[in-house]
Amino acid sequence: MTFRKILTQHIAEADCHTLNFYQRNGGYSQAKKSLNEHQPDDLIELVKAANLRGRGGAGFPTGVKWSFVPKSSDKPKYLVVNADESEPGTFKDRVIMEKNPHLLLEGILICCKAVNIQTAYIYIRGEFVFATQRLQQAIDEAYEAGILGSDCLGSGLHIDVTVHRGAGAYICGEETGMLTSLEGDRGQPKLKPPFPAIEGVFGCPTVVNNVETLANLPYILEIGAEAYCAIGPEKSPGPKLFCVSGHVENPGTFELPMGIPLRALIDEHAGGVWKGRKLKAVIPGGSSAHVLTAEECDVAMDIESLSAAGTMLGSAGVIVMDDSTCMVDALVNLMRFYHHESCGQCTPCREGTGWLEKIVHRIAHGDGRMEDLDLVLDVCDRMVGKTICALADAAAFPAQSIVTKFQDDFVAAIQNGGSPAWKKRHPSAVGGTASHG
Amino acid sequence: MKQYEWLLTRYPTRRAALLPTLRLAESDFGELGVPEMRYVADLMEIPPAFVFGVVTFYTHYRRAGTGKFHIQVCSTLSCALRGSEDVVSRITERLGIHPGETTPCGHFTLSKVECLGSCDTAPMLQCNDDYHEDLSLEDVDQLIEQLRAEAEGGQNG
Amino acid sequence: MAENQTNDGTVAMTRWQLNGQEVENPTGMTIMEAAKDHGIEIPCFCYHPGLSIAGNCRICMVESNRSPKPVISCSEKIADGLVIETESELAVSSRNSVMEFQLINHPLDCPVCDKSGECTLQDHSYEHGPDRSRFVEDKNIRHTKELGPTISIWGNRCIVCTRCVRFCDEISGTSELCIVERGDRSVVDVFPEIPIDNQLAGNTVDICPVGALISHDFKYEARVWNMDRKDSVCGGCSRGCNIEVETLDGFVKRLMPRENLEVNDWWMCDEGRYGWRHLYADDRLSQATRDGTALEDDSATAALEQLLSESGPVAFLIDPYLTCEEMHLVQGLAASRPGSIVGGWLPDDGDAANFPSGFKISAAKYPNRSGAEHIFGAQVFGDDAKELQKSLLSSDFPTVVAFCGGHLSTGPGESWAKALSSTPTSIIFSVKTGPWLEGASLVLPATAPIEKDGTWINEDGRLQRTRSCWNPGTEPFSVELVRLQTLQNALDIRGRSLSAAGIFRELAAANDSFAGHNHSDLGSPGLLLAERPAGIAMDGGSE
Repeated sequence: MTFRKILTQHIAEADCHTLNFYQRNGGYSQAKKSLNEHQPDDLIELVKAANLRGRGGAGFPTGVKWSFVPKSSDKPKYLVVNADESEPGTFKDRVIMEKNPHLLLEGILICCKAVNIQTAYIYIRGEFVFATQRLQQAIDEAYEAGILGSDCLGSGLHIDVTVHRGAGAYICGEETGMLTSLEGDRGQPKLKPPFPAIEGVFGCPTVVNNVETLANLPYILEIGAEAYCAIGPEKSPGPKLFCVSGHVENPGTFELPMGIPLRALIDEHAGGVWKGRKLKAVIPGGSSAHVLTAEECDVAMDIESLSAAGTMLGSAGVIVMDDSTCMVDALVNLMRFYHHESCGQCTPCREGTGWLEKIVHRIAHGDGRMEDLDLVLDVCDRMVGKTICALADAAAFPAQSIVTKFQDDFVAAIQNGGSPAWKKRHPSAVGGTASHG
Repeated sequence: MKQYEWLLTRYPTRRAALLPTLRLAESDFGELGVPEMRYVADLMEIPPAFVFGVVTFYTHYRRAGTGKFHIQVCSTLSCALRGSEDVVSRITERLGIHPGETTPCGHFTLSKVECLGSCDTAPMLQCNDDYHEDLSLEDVDQLIEQLRAEAEGGQNG
Repeated sequence: MAENQTNDGTVAMTRWQLNGQEVENPTGMTIMEAAKDHGIEIPCFCYHPGLSIAGNCRICMVESNRSPKPVISCSEKIADGLVIETESELAVSSRNSVMEFQLINHPLDCPVCDKSGECTLQDHSYEHGPDRSRFVEDKNIRHTKELGPTISIWGNRCIVCTRCVRFCDEISGTSELCIVERGDRSVVDVFPEIPIDNQLAGNTVDICPVGALISHDFKYEARVWNMDRKDSVCGGCSRGCNIEVETLDGFVKRLMPRENLEVNDWWMCDEGRYGWRHLYADDRLSQATRDGTALEDDSATAALEQLLSESGPVAFLIDPYLTCEEMHLVQGLAASRPGSIVGGWLPDDGDAANFPSGFKISAAKYPNRSGAEHIFGAQVFGDDAKELQKSLLSSDFPTVVAFCGGHLSTGPGESWAKALSSTPTSIIFSVKTGPWLEGASLVLPATAPIEKDGTWINEDGRLQRTRSCWNPGTEPFSVELVRLQTLQNALDIRGRSLSAAGIFRELAAANDSFAGHNHSDLGSPGLLLAERPAGIAMDGGSE
């Protein structure tokens, strides 16, 4: 079966985001069927069989996540859509929300039916004002057309969707940080267990799903689990939005089957490394993924393959770096990000992210010492697996892999008085191997 | 107030409406300073200290003293790789302020911010609600001129 | 039914393994609490038994067979088949790592920090931390400011454990504190213009594991290792919060609460906490006088003996600050002078307060009304007092011995002052100078509540030991317990003088309410008067 774009096929059309357009092209027919004819358990089994993996970064099997929600609980259940999209290098959910919001809404309806949910919130990052407007417009259209609200699509079910704007915090993309923020608090992650499926927002069972994950649901219903599994590798199948940015000719979002080779993604779709330069490094899955050297890029872009290669698909945010890039500067930039975004709750992350930035910053600015490389790795070891959420791990992974795989850049900065960018800005600074103890 | 009442109907707890209510206040009052935070706290019967902790946790609320145009230049990796530092320098050159500063006339505040989710259009910036993407230095000059005209036009008009 | 109770009422137990030993604890306990039962103290910063679980400091991590990552023992519950190691390489290195992270930005303030010597960070650093720093960067800077009239914060020291924030949310219910900013810029703060100003604010300084929160009352006053400590009871109200009295060179420097889950949990109110300064106030009575002339202490006792040996029936006006032992001595005196009567005065009720956690402040701003009622009868402050006042105003009694203790500058009040001055011979024990002393024949300095050694009965009927802040032999004047016994010796009522414990034994033998009790069995937490101690305490508190 030839690959058919389903998430972004119409995004060039001027009115692609309207209800009119969506319905003209068969939209909501799957949701209508689900809401009126399918049983919740059947839907869960279908999604399990389709091997739909979460598209937010963790890649957790969606059907399995839904099945964790206790059916016997008499508490209301909630769906919180993760539209926080703050992972550096990632900009795919935005495309769906701005250009195909009804696809998301249809996916929401199907999920609500499967897990007996009546209330859904779309937690969208505060900076995405335009996307928020498009979403709200779509929701208003849907309510007016009887697609949301009471008696959704004639099913007798009542489903409400509310857009909830964030206010600038990467940590709110972490599922429990998101729930805490939704509850009206600082977006600090909660202790797990209990897991959100059991006790999430407002103390009730909650499903947290990424925008793109939900956007796949109508298609799965349309073609069935077997056909869906045939798109890309069986363990992580389906159409995937890949984000490519950095030193390429054509940065952008590319809808392709899971499993496309990374080289093809960069060279054939994103126009290859820009300005005729050579490839140096690629981050394949958002900044929290281990970096790949140019030699390591012969890998398929799916969850299993990248995991086997010692990194991850994550949010599929591919950041390409050419050979003019100093990896020390790149790492300073990323460490500053995590330092800025740490919520500050737990000790290893709060202190560790700051420490990491300060060390690599000092190396970039010409005051590095050879022992700093081991120090960075040791600090990372002491952060990983010791915290309430994975932000500490997300900060540690790029540090571990960049320092290890691009040691030469760091040694050069230590021995030559700083990174090239620093030295360019401070040509008179006396550098050399730092004489710290 | 009607919008606030409507918000309350969307959540099972009053506190859950805090973040969107802060947005309403930000928009109605122009900024979230101490009096505005107090207003929201009293309206929602939430301890003011709690509201203070919430507002200072997030970076995207418009805090007191922010210029009419808050220029937020994305500085995370993908944008840095494509010249975000040059954008910042250019703005500093044109406006005379460094990141974190506000022009004396109060029209412009310049900030460096983290990834805005628009890496394919790097370098880019957000000015108040709007994204300005695929920026060349000329684009930056043009934008500054436009904003200046708007700021000064607003003053005289 | 409690969480761990089975259907037949017994407590369900969980079998688990701790450091290689098979152990058993009631179901539902956390690993940390359960380990304590087996003598294993897992370190913590953010955990406090009186507050909700935060799980943010991470120092209590231990190795578990149920997880590849270490788990925090303050929130993980024990389970059948759980295997926990607190000393494995993973557990120890996790703990050491957290300790290092806590210290990298921490200022080297120990030499100037009040918390030094009772600082959890120091203690855990000594046990679990690195002995040198690898951090060569610039340390973080956070604010130093007043948070309220009684508390300031040295933000550089704050480890963002959130104990203080949780306290204000859960215990006082006033929510004045919050964490502001994010990441390593986070620090405790208050809303601008709204300082922390609740009645329990001082407790936040106790529970702060580091020297971030500083008490204005105690700032730079003393090094904790130089102070003497006594377990005692607050005399500020009838709650009878258990406290520690700390003194330096005989002067009170600080009062701190002691844990007693039956009385005050871990807390005390600010009024009680800071209510020791009156001991050294300008209106403290420190000098005995006879008809206005100053007397040496011995001469004062002699004058007392002389006045009472010559008297017939005596009126006794007691206050609700006297210990049971002191009251017993008064009763002995009254009994020795047939026709004598005893009545008591009470200060007006103050404000009571009830807090969300269940902690209470009593409206009755004195510690021992109940003791008086058990010793002198239920009407001692009621009808008996009315009768006494009437009699005194009509000068029916030639002699009155009055006790005007406590911390109030109003003393026993105007009408009692009048009654006292209407009596030809008035002998007044007083803590403060005031109008009620006008015209008194003999004025004697009296002990303030925390200077007393003995027992009080709180409003729950709990008998508790209060211990004098003075060390024996260093009292600035003869305390009532001694002076009244010396008096009794002189009047042939008593053979030899006893300690407070000895007096209490006499009281227990003579009064059914107190039968079976003794000082040793009261120990530190005290006992309900209605409960009899099990037997002779083998490890009982000091007398």
